[in-house]
Amino acid sequence: MPGIIEAQELNFAYVRVPVLEHISFTVNAGDYVGIIGPNGGGKTTLLKLLLGLEKGKGQIKLFGRPLNEFKDWRKIGYLAQKSPVSQSRFPVSAEEVVLMGLSDRHGSGVSVSELKQVHEAMQKTRTREYAGRIFHDLSIGQQQRVLLARALVSRPELLILDEPSTALDPESREMFFNLLGDLNAKQGVTILLITHDTGEVGKYISKFMYIDKTLVFYGTKEEFCHSAAVAEKLGAFAQHTIDHLHNHGHCPLGCSCGGEHK
Amino acid sequence: MIAEFLSYGFVQRGLAAGSLVAAACALLGVFLVLKRLSLIGDGMSHVCLTGVAAALLLSANPVYVSVPVVAAASLGIMKITQKFKIYGDAAIGIVSAAGLSIGLLITALAGGFNTDLLGYLFGSILTVSKDEAVLCGMLLAAVLAGLFFFYRDLTSACFDEPFARTRGIAVQTVNTVLVIITSVAVVLAFKVVGIFLISSLLIIPPVAALLISRTFKQVLWLAAAFGVASVWAGVYLSFVFNIPSGATIILVNLCVLALSYGWSKMGGLRNGR
Repeated sequence: MPGIIEAQELNFAYVRVPVLEHISFTVNAGDYVGIIGPNGGGKTTLLKLLLGLEKGKGQIKLFGRPLNEFKDWRKIGYLAQKSPVSQSRFPVSAEEVVLMGLSDRHGSGVSVSELKQVHEAMQKTRTREYAGRIFHDLSIGQQQRVLLARALVSRPELLILDEPSTALDPESREMFFNLLGDLNAKQGVTILLITHDTGEVGKYISKFMYIDKTLVFYGTKEEFCHSAAVAEKLGAFAQHTIDHLHNHGHCPLGCSCGGEHK
Repeated sequence: MIAEFLSYGFVQRGLAAGSLVAAACALLGVFLVLKRLSLIGDGMSHVCLTGVAAALLLSANPVYVSVPVVAAASLGIMKITQKFKIYGDAAIGIVSAAGLSIGLLITALAGGFNTDLLGYLFGSILTVSKDEAVLCGMLLAAVLAGLFFFYRDLTSACFDEPFARTRGIAVQTVNTVLVIITSVAVVLAFKVVGIFLISSLLIIPPVAALLISRTFKQVLWLAAAFGVASVWAGVYLSFVFNIPSGATIILVNLCVLALSYGWSKMGGLRNGR
Protein backbone atom coordinates (compact mmCIF):
# COMPACT_ATOMS: atom_id res chain seq x y z
CA MET A 1 0.00 0.00 0.00
CA PRO A 2 1.53 3.34 -1.03
CA GLY A 3 2.20 5.98 1.59
CA ILE A 4 0.08 9.10 1.93
CA ILE A 5 3.22 11.12 1.17
CA GLU A 6 6.18 9.70 -0.72
CA ALA A 7 9.15 12.01 -1.16
CA GLN A 8 12.22 10.94 -3.09
CA GLU A 9 15.50 12.81 -3.42
CA LEU A 10 14.05 16.27 -2.78
CA ASN A 11 16.44 19.13 -3.33
CA PHE A 12 15.72 22.82 -3.15
CA ALA A 13 17.88 25.94 -3.38
CA TYR A 14 17.18 29.66 -3.10
CA VAL A 15 19.37 31.44 -5.66
CA ARG A 16 21.90 28.57 -5.67
CA VAL A 17 22.05 28.41 -1.85
CA PRO A 18 20.98 24.89 -0.90
CA VAL A 19 18.08 24.79 1.54
CA LEU A 20 17.18 21.11 1.36
CA GLU A 21 19.30 18.26 0.07
CA HIS A 22 18.61 14.58 -0.59
CA ILE A 23 15.38 14.32 1.39
CA SER A 24 13.54 11.01 1.04
CA PHE A 25 10.79 9.67 3.30
CA THR A 26 7.35 8.09 3.36
CA VAL A 27 4.45 9.09 5.58
CA ASN A 28 1.89 6.32 6.01
CA ALA A 29 -1.83 6.60 6.64
CA GLY A 30 -2.51 7.32 10.31
CA ASP A 31 0.98 8.63 11.07
CA TYR A 32 1.30 11.67 13.31
CA VAL A 33 4.67 13.15 12.43
CA GLY A 34 6.29 15.97 14.40
CA ILE A 35 8.83 17.85 12.30
CA ILE A 36 11.53 19.51 14.34
CA GLY A 37 14.85 21.16 13.63
CA PRO A 38 16.68 24.45 14.00
CA ASN A 39 15.40 27.73 12.56
CA GLY A 40 16.35 28.03 8.91
CA GLY A 41 16.75 24.27 8.65
CA GLY A 42 14.23 24.01 5.79
CA LYS A 43 11.15 22.67 7.63
CA THR A 44 8.70 25.18 6.16
CA THR A 45 10.27 24.87 2.74
CA LEU A 46 9.76 21.10 2.92
CA LEU A 47 6.04 21.53 3.59
CA LYS A 48 5.76 24.05 0.75
CA LEU A 49 7.44 21.58 -1.61
CA LEU A 50 4.98 18.88 -0.56
CA LEU A 51 2.07 21.21 -1.32
CA GLY A 52 3.47 22.45 -4.62
CA LEU A 53 3.89 26.00 -3.26
CA GLU A 54 7.61 25.85 -4.09
CA LYS A 55 9.19 23.99 -6.96
CA GLY A 56 12.30 21.94 -6.31
CA LYS A 57 13.95 18.83 -7.68
CA GLY A 58 12.93 15.29 -6.85
CA GLN A 59 9.71 13.30 -6.79
CA ILE A 60 6.66 13.82 -4.60
CA LYS A 61 3.59 11.62 -4.55
CA LEU A 62 0.44 12.47 -2.61
CA PHE A 63 -2.03 9.63 -2.06
CA GLY A 64 -0.11 7.60 -4.65
CA ARG A 65 -0.28 10.22 -7.38
CA PRO A 66 2.57 12.43 -8.60
CA LEU A 67 2.16 15.97 -7.25
CA ASN A 68 1.58 17.50 -10.70
CA GLU A 69 -1.27 15.06 -11.33
CA PHE A 70 -2.81 15.33 -7.89
CA LYS A 71 -6.22 17.05 -8.01
CA ASP A 72 -8.10 15.91 -4.94
CA TRP A 73 -7.09 18.80 -2.68
CA ARG A 74 -10.10 18.24 -0.40
CA LYS A 75 -8.09 15.39 1.09
CA ILE A 76 -5.50 17.84 2.41
CA GLY A 77 -5.90 20.54 5.06
CA TYR A 78 -3.17 23.16 5.38
CA LEU A 79 -2.40 25.75 8.00
CA ALA A 80 0.57 28.02 7.36
CA GLN A 81 3.11 29.31 9.87
CA LYS A 82 2.27 32.92 9.22
CA SER A 83 -1.08 33.87 7.86
CA PRO A 84 -0.43 35.84 4.68
CA VAL A 85 -3.74 37.49 5.38
CA SER A 86 -2.54 40.91 6.38
CA GLN A 87 -4.86 43.34 4.66
CA SER A 88 -6.54 45.17 7.49
CA ARG A 89 -9.58 46.09 5.43
CA PHE A 90 -10.59 42.74 3.93
CA PRO A 91 -14.19 42.51 5.14
CA VAL A 92 -14.87 38.80 5.27
CA SER A 93 -16.48 37.08 8.21
CA ALA A 94 -14.89 34.19 10.08
CA GLU A 95 -17.54 31.92 8.56
CA GLU A 96 -16.66 33.07 5.03
CA VAL A 97 -12.99 32.39 5.71
CA VAL A 98 -13.80 28.82 6.77
CA LEU A 99 -15.90 28.40 3.61
CA MET A 100 -12.78 29.16 1.56
CA GLY A 101 -11.55 25.71 2.58
CA LEU A 102 -14.19 24.23 0.28
CA SER A 103 -13.43 24.78 -3.38
CA ASP A 104 -15.82 22.50 -5.23
CA ARG A 105 -17.98 25.44 -6.27
CA HIS A 106 -16.65 28.56 -7.97
CA GLY A 107 -19.58 30.99 -7.93
CA SER A 108 -20.98 32.94 -4.99
CA GLY A 109 -23.70 30.46 -3.96
CA VAL A 110 -23.38 28.29 -0.84
CA SER A 111 -25.11 24.92 -0.50
CA VAL A 112 -26.75 23.59 2.66
CA SER A 113 -24.21 20.76 2.91
CA GLU A 114 -21.35 23.26 2.67
CA LEU A 115 -22.85 25.33 5.48
CA LYS A 116 -23.18 22.17 7.55
CA GLN A 117 -19.52 21.36 7.02
CA VAL A 118 -18.52 24.93 7.94
CA HIS A 119 -20.55 24.81 11.16
CA GLU A 120 -19.09 21.40 12.02
CA ALA A 121 -15.50 22.67 11.58
CA MET A 122 -16.25 25.79 13.62
CA GLN A 123 -17.82 23.68 16.33
CA LYS A 124 -14.69 21.53 16.55
CA THR A 125 -12.42 24.54 16.84
CA ARG A 126 -14.80 26.44 19.15
CA THR A 127 -15.11 29.37 16.79
CA ARG A 128 -18.87 29.38 16.17
CA GLU A 129 -19.45 32.14 18.69
CA TYR A 130 -17.69 34.61 16.40
CA ALA A 131 -18.72 33.12 13.05
CA GLY A 132 -20.31 36.38 11.89
CA ARG A 133 -17.54 38.71 12.99
CA ILE A 134 -15.09 40.22 10.55
CA PHE A 135 -11.94 38.09 10.49
CA HIS A 136 -9.59 41.01 11.03
CA ASP A 137 -11.47 42.18 14.09
CA LEU A 138 -10.53 38.92 15.84
CA SER A 139 -7.44 38.45 18.00
CA ILE A 140 -4.47 36.63 16.45
CA GLY A 141 -5.28 33.52 18.49
CA GLN A 142 -8.93 33.57 17.39
CA GLN A 143 -7.84 34.07 13.78
CA GLN A 144 -5.55 31.06 14.07
CA ARG A 145 -8.45 28.92 15.30
CA VAL A 146 -10.59 30.10 12.40
CA LEU A 147 -7.78 29.19 10.00
CA LEU A 148 -7.59 25.77 11.63
CA ALA A 149 -11.34 25.41 11.00
CA ARG A 150 -10.66 26.34 7.36
CA ALA A 151 -8.04 23.56 7.21
CA LEU A 152 -10.50 21.05 8.69
CA VAL A 153 -13.66 22.02 6.80
CA SER A 154 -13.10 19.69 3.84
CA ARG A 155 -12.76 16.76 6.29
CA PRO A 156 -9.19 16.10 5.12
CA GLU A 157 -7.37 12.80 5.38
CA LEU A 158 -4.03 14.59 5.69
CA LEU A 159 -3.33 17.69 7.76
CA ILE A 160 -0.20 19.72 7.09
CA LEU A 161 0.43 22.27 9.82
CA ASP A 162 3.31 24.70 10.14
CA GLU A 163 3.84 25.81 13.76
CA PRO A 164 0.12 26.25 14.24
CA SER A 165 0.14 26.87 17.99
CA THR A 166 2.54 29.82 18.10
CA ALA A 167 -0.15 32.49 18.56
CA LEU A 168 -2.37 30.48 20.91
CA ASP A 169 -2.78 30.95 24.65
CA PRO A 170 -2.11 27.87 26.84
CA GLU A 171 -5.79 26.90 27.06
CA SER A 172 -6.29 27.18 23.29
CA ARG A 173 -3.05 25.30 22.71
CA GLU A 174 -4.25 22.41 24.82
CA MET A 175 -7.60 22.38 23.04
CA PHE A 176 -5.75 22.50 19.75
CA PHE A 177 -3.43 19.57 20.44
CA ASN A 178 -6.26 17.54 21.98
CA LEU A 179 -8.30 18.11 18.83
CA LEU A 180 -5.42 17.03 16.60
CA GLY A 181 -4.84 13.98 18.82
CA ASP A 182 -8.52 13.01 18.53
CA LEU A 183 -8.54 13.48 14.77
CA ASN A 184 -5.52 11.23 14.48
CA ALA A 185 -6.58 8.57 17.00
CA LYS A 186 -10.31 8.38 16.30
CA GLN A 187 -10.63 9.37 12.65
CA GLY A 188 -7.25 8.19 11.39
CA VAL A 189 -6.29 11.60 10.01
CA THR A 190 -2.62 11.65 9.05
CA ILE A 191 -0.83 14.68 10.49
CA LEU A 192 2.41 16.36 9.53
CA LEU A 193 3.21 19.09 12.02
CA ILE A 194 6.12 21.48 12.40
CA THR A 195 6.43 22.30 16.06
CA HIS A 196 8.69 23.59 18.75
CA ASP A 197 6.17 22.43 21.36
CA THR A 198 7.81 19.01 21.49
CA GLY A 199 6.73 18.53 25.07
CA GLU A 200 3.05 19.19 24.49
CA VAL A 201 2.70 17.40 21.21
CA GLY A 202 4.94 14.53 22.26
CA LYS A 203 2.19 12.51 23.87
CA TYR A 204 0.26 12.33 20.59
CA ILE A 205 2.81 11.97 17.83
CA SER A 206 4.00 8.64 16.52
CA LYS A 207 7.11 9.79 14.66
CA PHE A 208 9.71 12.51 14.73
CA MET A 209 11.35 13.98 11.68
CA TYR A 210 14.43 16.11 12.24
CA ILE A 211 15.30 18.42 9.37
CA ASP A 212 18.45 20.48 9.14
CA LYS A 213 18.97 20.94 5.40
CA THR A 214 19.04 17.15 5.20
CA LEU A 215 16.84 14.53 6.80
CA VAL A 216 18.89 13.90 9.92
CA PHE A 217 16.42 11.64 11.69
CA TYR A 218 13.08 10.04 10.88
CA GLY A 219 11.65 7.39 13.14
CA THR A 220 9.37 6.61 16.04
CA LYS A 221 9.41 8.75 19.15
CA GLU A 222 10.75 5.79 21.13
CA GLU A 223 13.75 5.56 18.80
CA PHE A 224 14.21 9.29 19.08
CA CYS A 225 13.84 9.36 22.85
CA HIS A 226 15.86 6.30 23.82
CA SER A 227 18.68 6.34 21.40
CA ALA A 228 21.82 7.85 22.88
CA ALA A 229 23.37 7.50 19.46
CA VAL A 230 20.64 9.69 18.00
CA ALA A 231 21.18 12.34 20.65
CA GLU A 232 24.87 12.28 19.96
CA LYS A 233 24.32 12.42 16.23
CA LEU A 234 21.90 15.30 16.44
CA GLY A 235 24.05 17.35 18.76
CA ALA A 236 23.09 20.23 21.02
CA PHE A 237 19.64 20.90 19.57
CA ALA A 238 18.47 17.34 20.08
CA GLN A 239 19.88 17.25 23.58
CA HIS A 240 17.98 20.44 24.30
CA THR A 241 14.82 18.85 22.87
CA ILE A 242 15.21 15.71 24.93
CA ASP A 243 15.93 17.78 28.04
CA HIS A 244 12.77 19.73 27.33
CA LEU A 245 10.79 16.53 26.98
CA HIS A 246 11.89 15.43 30.41
CA ASN A 247 11.81 18.67 32.30
CA HIS A 248 8.85 17.59 34.41
CA GLY A 249 10.43 14.34 35.56
CA HIS A 250 8.46 12.17 33.17
CA CYS A 251 8.64 11.42 29.52
CA PRO A 252 5.90 13.36 27.76
CA LEU A 253 6.58 11.41 24.61
CA GLY A 254 4.62 8.63 26.23
CA CYS A 255 7.41 6.08 26.33
CA SER A 256 7.94 4.04 29.46
CA CYS A 257 11.26 5.52 30.53
CA GLY A 258 9.78 7.66 33.29
CA GLY A 259 12.26 10.29 32.40
CA GLU A 260 15.20 8.19 33.58
CA HIS A 261 17.16 8.28 30.38
CA LYS A 262 17.52 12.06 30.53
CA MET B 1 -30.38 72.72 -16.55
CA ILE B 2 -30.15 68.96 -15.94
CA ALA B 3 -32.67 68.23 -18.69
CA GLU B 4 -30.67 70.35 -21.12
CA PHE B 5 -27.46 68.60 -20.02
CA LEU B 6 -28.96 65.18 -20.64
CA SER B 7 -30.50 66.11 -23.97
CA TYR B 8 -27.17 66.13 -25.83
CA GLY B 9 -26.28 62.88 -27.59
CA PHE B 10 -22.57 63.22 -26.85
CA VAL B 11 -23.36 63.70 -23.15
CA GLN B 12 -25.54 60.58 -23.11
CA ARG B 13 -22.79 58.56 -24.83
CA GLY B 14 -20.13 59.95 -22.52
CA LEU B 15 -22.16 59.22 -19.40
CA ALA B 16 -23.01 55.71 -20.57
CA ALA B 17 -19.42 54.85 -21.48
CA GLY B 18 -18.07 56.60 -18.39
CA SER B 19 -20.47 54.78 -16.07
CA LEU B 20 -19.71 51.39 -17.62
CA VAL B 21 -15.97 51.80 -17.51
CA ALA B 22 -16.00 53.37 -14.02
CA ALA B 23 -18.04 50.45 -12.65
CA ALA B 24 -15.71 47.93 -14.32
CA CYS B 25 -12.60 49.74 -13.01
CA ALA B 26 -14.03 49.93 -9.48
CA LEU B 27 -14.88 46.21 -9.40
CA LEU B 28 -11.46 45.23 -10.75
CA GLY B 29 -9.83 47.76 -8.46
CA VAL B 30 -11.22 46.03 -5.35
CA PHE B 31 -9.14 42.94 -6.17
CA LEU B 32 -6.08 44.95 -7.20
CA VAL B 33 -6.14 47.02 -4.00
CA LEU B 34 -6.51 43.92 -1.83
CA LYS B 35 -3.74 42.13 -3.72
CA ARG B 36 -1.51 45.20 -3.21
CA LEU B 37 -1.37 45.78 -6.94
CA SER B 38 -3.11 49.17 -6.81
CA LEU B 39 -0.38 50.86 -8.78
CA ILE B 40 -0.58 48.43 -11.68
CA GLY B 41 -3.14 50.83 -13.19
CA ASP B 42 -0.59 53.62 -12.96
CA GLY B 43 2.03 51.47 -14.67
CA MET B 44 -0.42 50.42 -17.37
CA SER B 45 -1.48 54.02 -17.96
CA HIS B 46 2.12 54.98 -18.67
CA VAL B 47 2.36 52.10 -21.11
CA CYS B 48 -0.85 53.45 -22.67
CA LEU B 49 1.21 56.40 -23.82
CA THR B 50 3.30 54.02 -25.94
CA GLY B 51 0.14 52.51 -27.42
CA VAL B 52 -1.44 55.89 -28.16
CA ALA B 53 1.76 57.32 -29.62
CA ALA B 54 2.23 54.23 -31.82
CA ALA B 55 -1.41 54.43 -32.95
CA LEU B 56 -1.12 58.11 -33.84
CA LEU B 57 2.09 57.35 -35.72
CA LEU B 58 0.35 54.57 -37.66
CA SER B 59 -2.90 56.53 -38.01
CA ALA B 60 -4.71 53.67 -36.28
CA ASN B 61 -7.37 53.64 -33.54
CA PRO B 62 -5.49 54.17 -30.24
CA VAL B 63 -7.84 51.82 -28.38
CA TYR B 64 -7.13 48.86 -30.64
CA VAL B 65 -3.36 49.43 -30.61
CA SER B 66 -3.15 50.11 -26.89
CA VAL B 67 -5.03 47.01 -25.69
CA PRO B 68 -2.39 44.46 -26.81
CA VAL B 69 0.48 46.76 -25.81
CA VAL B 70 -0.88 47.30 -22.30
CA ALA B 71 -1.88 43.64 -21.89
CA ALA B 72 1.65 42.56 -22.85
CA ALA B 73 3.10 45.07 -20.38
CA SER B 74 0.87 43.86 -17.54
CA LEU B 75 1.90 40.27 -18.20
CA GLY B 76 5.49 41.56 -18.19
CA ILE B 77 4.91 43.01 -14.72
CA MET B 78 3.73 39.62 -13.47
CA LYS B 79 6.65 37.83 -15.12
CA ILE B 80 9.23 40.19 -13.65
CA THR B 81 7.70 39.78 -10.19
CA GLN B 82 7.94 35.99 -10.42
CA LYS B 83 11.24 35.73 -12.24
CA PHE B 84 13.25 38.12 -10.09
CA LYS B 85 11.28 37.40 -6.88
CA ILE B 86 10.70 41.10 -6.26
CA TYR B 87 7.62 42.92 -5.04
CA GLY B 88 5.01 44.02 -7.56
CA ASP B 89 5.62 47.74 -6.98
CA ALA B 90 9.22 47.45 -8.22
CA ALA B 91 8.10 45.52 -11.32
CA ILE B 92 5.39 48.13 -11.96
CA GLY B 93 8.03 50.87 -11.67
CA ILE B 94 10.27 49.15 -14.22
CA VAL B 95 7.51 48.56 -16.80
CA SER B 96 6.02 52.00 -16.17
CA ALA B 97 9.36 53.70 -16.86
CA ALA B 98 9.81 51.64 -20.00
CA GLY B 99 6.30 52.50 -21.23
CA LEU B 100 6.67 56.19 -20.60
CA SER B 101 10.10 56.49 -22.17
CA ILE B 102 9.18 54.51 -25.29
CA GLY B 103 5.99 56.58 -25.67
CA LEU B 104 7.88 59.85 -25.35
CA LEU B 105 10.53 58.61 -27.78
CA ILE B 106 7.92 57.74 -30.42
CA THR B 107 6.26 61.13 -29.89
CA ALA B 108 9.55 62.97 -30.27
CA LEU B 109 10.64 61.00 -33.31
CA ALA B 110 7.27 61.32 -35.07
CA GLY B 111 6.52 64.91 -34.13
CA GLY B 112 3.37 66.71 -35.22
CA PHE B 113 0.77 64.98 -33.09
CA ASN B 114 1.40 66.64 -29.75
CA THR B 115 -2.03 68.28 -29.76
CA ASP B 116 -3.81 64.93 -30.34
CA LEU B 117 -1.74 63.37 -27.60
CA LEU B 118 -2.82 66.04 -25.11
CA GLY B 119 -6.44 64.94 -25.58
CA TYR B 120 -5.49 61.42 -24.48
CA LEU B 121 -3.35 62.61 -21.60
CA PHE B 122 -6.20 64.58 -20.01
CA GLY B 123 -9.22 62.66 -21.30
CA SER B 124 -12.22 63.73 -23.34
CA ILE B 125 -15.26 61.79 -22.18
CA LEU B 126 -17.62 63.76 -24.41
CA THR B 127 -15.84 62.55 -27.57
CA VAL B 128 -16.50 58.87 -26.85
CA SER B 129 -17.80 57.14 -29.99
CA LYS B 130 -20.68 54.68 -30.14
CA ASP B 131 -18.28 51.78 -30.80
CA GLU B 132 -16.22 52.72 -27.77
CA ALA B 133 -19.37 52.87 -25.61
CA VAL B 134 -20.28 49.37 -26.82
CA LEU B 135 -16.77 48.18 -25.93
CA CYS B 136 -17.22 49.63 -22.43
CA GLY B 137 -20.48 47.67 -22.12
CA MET B 138 -18.73 44.47 -23.19
CA LEU B 139 -15.98 45.11 -20.65
CA LEU B 140 -18.42 45.49 -17.76
CA ALA B 141 -20.34 42.40 -18.91
CA ALA B 142 -17.07 40.41 -18.87
CA VAL B 143 -16.20 41.68 -15.40
CA LEU B 144 -19.65 40.86 -14.02
CA ALA B 145 -19.62 37.40 -15.62
CA GLY B 146 -16.18 36.72 -14.11
CA LEU B 147 -17.42 37.80 -10.70
CA PHE B 148 -20.56 35.69 -10.97
CA PHE B 149 -18.87 32.49 -12.09
CA PHE B 150 -15.58 32.75 -10.18
CA TYR B 151 -16.51 34.76 -7.09
CA ARG B 152 -15.11 32.23 -4.64
CA ASP B 153 -11.92 31.60 -6.57
CA LEU B 154 -11.30 35.34 -6.79
CA THR B 155 -11.96 36.10 -3.13
CA SER B 156 -9.97 33.09 -1.94
CA ALA B 157 -6.99 33.89 -4.18
CA CYS B 158 -7.15 37.49 -3.05
CA PHE B 159 -7.47 36.70 0.66
CA ASP B 160 -4.76 34.04 0.93
CA GLU B 161 -3.01 33.08 -2.29
CA PRO B 162 -0.89 30.15 -1.04
CA PHE B 163 -3.89 28.56 0.65
CA ALA B 164 -5.99 29.05 -2.48
CA ARG B 165 -3.33 27.13 -4.41
CA THR B 166 -3.66 24.23 -1.97
CA ARG B 167 -7.39 24.15 -2.80
CA GLY B 168 -6.51 23.51 -6.44
CA ILE B 169 -7.52 27.02 -7.51
CA ALA B 170 -5.58 28.06 -10.61
CA VAL B 171 -4.27 31.23 -8.96
CA GLN B 172 -1.89 31.97 -11.82
CA THR B 173 -4.76 31.89 -14.32
CA VAL B 174 -6.92 34.03 -12.05
CA ASN B 175 -4.15 36.63 -11.81
CA THR B 176 -3.48 36.57 -15.54
CA VAL B 177 -7.15 37.04 -16.43
CA LEU B 178 -7.43 39.81 -13.82
CA VAL B 179 -4.54 41.83 -15.25
CA ILE B 180 -5.60 41.30 -18.87
CA ILE B 181 -9.15 42.52 -18.17
CA THR B 182 -7.65 45.41 -16.19
CA SER B 183 -5.53 46.27 -19.24
CA VAL B 184 -8.66 46.57 -21.37
CA ALA B 185 -10.34 48.67 -18.66
CA VAL B 186 -7.34 50.97 -18.45
CA VAL B 187 -7.27 51.52 -22.20
CA LEU B 188 -11.00 52.26 -22.36
CA ALA B 189 -10.71 54.53 -19.32
CA PHE B 190 -8.16 56.86 -20.91
CA LYS B 191 -10.95 58.41 -22.97
CA VAL B 192 -12.91 59.07 -19.78
CA VAL B 193 -10.35 60.59 -17.43
CA GLY B 194 -7.13 60.66 -19.44
CA ILE B 195 -3.94 58.66 -19.18
CA PHE B 196 -2.72 60.64 -16.16
CA LEU B 197 -5.75 59.87 -14.01
CA ILE B 198 -6.74 56.31 -15.01
CA SER B 199 -5.35 54.68 -11.89
CA SER B 200 -7.61 56.88 -9.73
CA LEU B 201 -10.67 55.08 -11.10
CA LEU B 202 -9.09 51.77 -10.08
CA ILE B 203 -8.03 52.85 -6.60
CA ILE B 204 -10.23 55.54 -5.07
CA PRO B 205 -13.74 53.97 -5.29
CA PRO B 206 -12.52 50.58 -3.88
CA VAL B 207 -10.67 52.25 -1.02
CA ALA B 208 -13.72 54.42 -0.21
CA ALA B 209 -15.90 51.28 -0.21
CA LEU B 210 -13.43 49.25 1.86
CA LEU B 211 -13.43 51.94 4.54
CA ILE B 212 -17.11 51.55 5.36
CA SER B 213 -18.20 48.08 4.24
CA ARG B 214 -19.05 45.16 6.44
CA THR B 215 -19.05 42.42 3.80
CA PHE B 216 -17.06 41.77 0.67
CA LYS B 217 -20.15 41.96 -1.52
CA GLN B 218 -20.91 45.39 -0.06
CA VAL B 219 -17.39 46.48 -1.04
CA LEU B 220 -17.96 45.41 -4.64
CA TRP B 221 -21.34 47.09 -5.10
CA LEU B 222 -20.42 50.25 -3.20
CA ALA B 223 -17.18 50.65 -5.16
CA ALA B 224 -19.08 50.34 -8.44
CA ALA B 225 -21.74 52.80 -7.20
CA PHE B 226 -19.10 55.32 -6.09
CA GLY B 227 -17.34 55.06 -9.46
CA VAL B 228 -20.54 55.61 -11.44
CA ALA B 229 -21.78 58.43 -9.19
CA SER B 230 -18.43 60.21 -9.53
CA VAL B 231 -18.64 60.08 -13.32
CA TRP B 232 -22.16 61.53 -13.36
CA ALA B 233 -21.41 64.25 -10.83
CA GLY B 234 -18.03 65.02 -12.41
CA VAL B 235 -19.40 65.33 -15.96
CA TYR B 236 -22.33 67.46 -14.77
CA LEU B 237 -20.08 69.82 -12.77
CA SER B 238 -17.64 70.12 -15.67
CA PHE B 239 -20.60 71.00 -17.94
CA VAL B 240 -21.94 73.62 -15.53
CA PHE B 241 -18.62 75.26 -14.67
CA ASN B 242 -16.90 74.61 -18.00
CA ILE B 243 -13.94 72.81 -16.42
CA PRO B 244 -12.07 69.62 -17.53
CA SER B 245 -14.27 66.55 -17.00
CA GLY B 246 -11.50 64.01 -16.20
CA ALA B 247 -10.02 66.04 -13.37
CA THR B 248 -13.50 66.88 -12.03
CA ILE B 249 -14.47 63.18 -11.93
CA ILE B 250 -11.39 62.39 -9.88
CA LEU B 251 -11.96 65.32 -7.50
CA VAL B 252 -15.53 64.13 -6.92
CA ASN B 253 -14.06 60.67 -6.23
CA LEU B 254 -11.74 62.19 -3.66
CA CYS B 255 -14.72 63.93 -1.98
CA VAL B 256 -16.48 60.55 -1.80
CA LEU B 257 -13.33 59.08 -0.24
CA ALA B 258 -13.23 61.88 2.35
CA LEU B 259 -16.90 61.33 3.21
CA SER B 260 -16.32 57.56 3.50
CA TYR B 261 -13.40 58.18 5.80
CA GLY B 262 -15.58 60.41 7.97
CA TRP B 263 -18.31 57.78 8.02
CA SER B 264 -15.82 55.01 8.80
CA LYS B 265 -14.79 56.96 11.91
CA MET B 266 -18.42 56.66 13.01
CA GLY B 267 -18.41 52.92 12.32
CA GLY B 268 -19.64 52.90 8.71
CA LEU B 269 -21.85 49.98 7.72
CA ARG B 270 -20.04 47.93 10.37
CA ASN B 271 -22.32 49.52 12.97
CA GLY B 272 -25.06 47.20 11.81
CA ARG B 273 -23.39 44.24 13.49
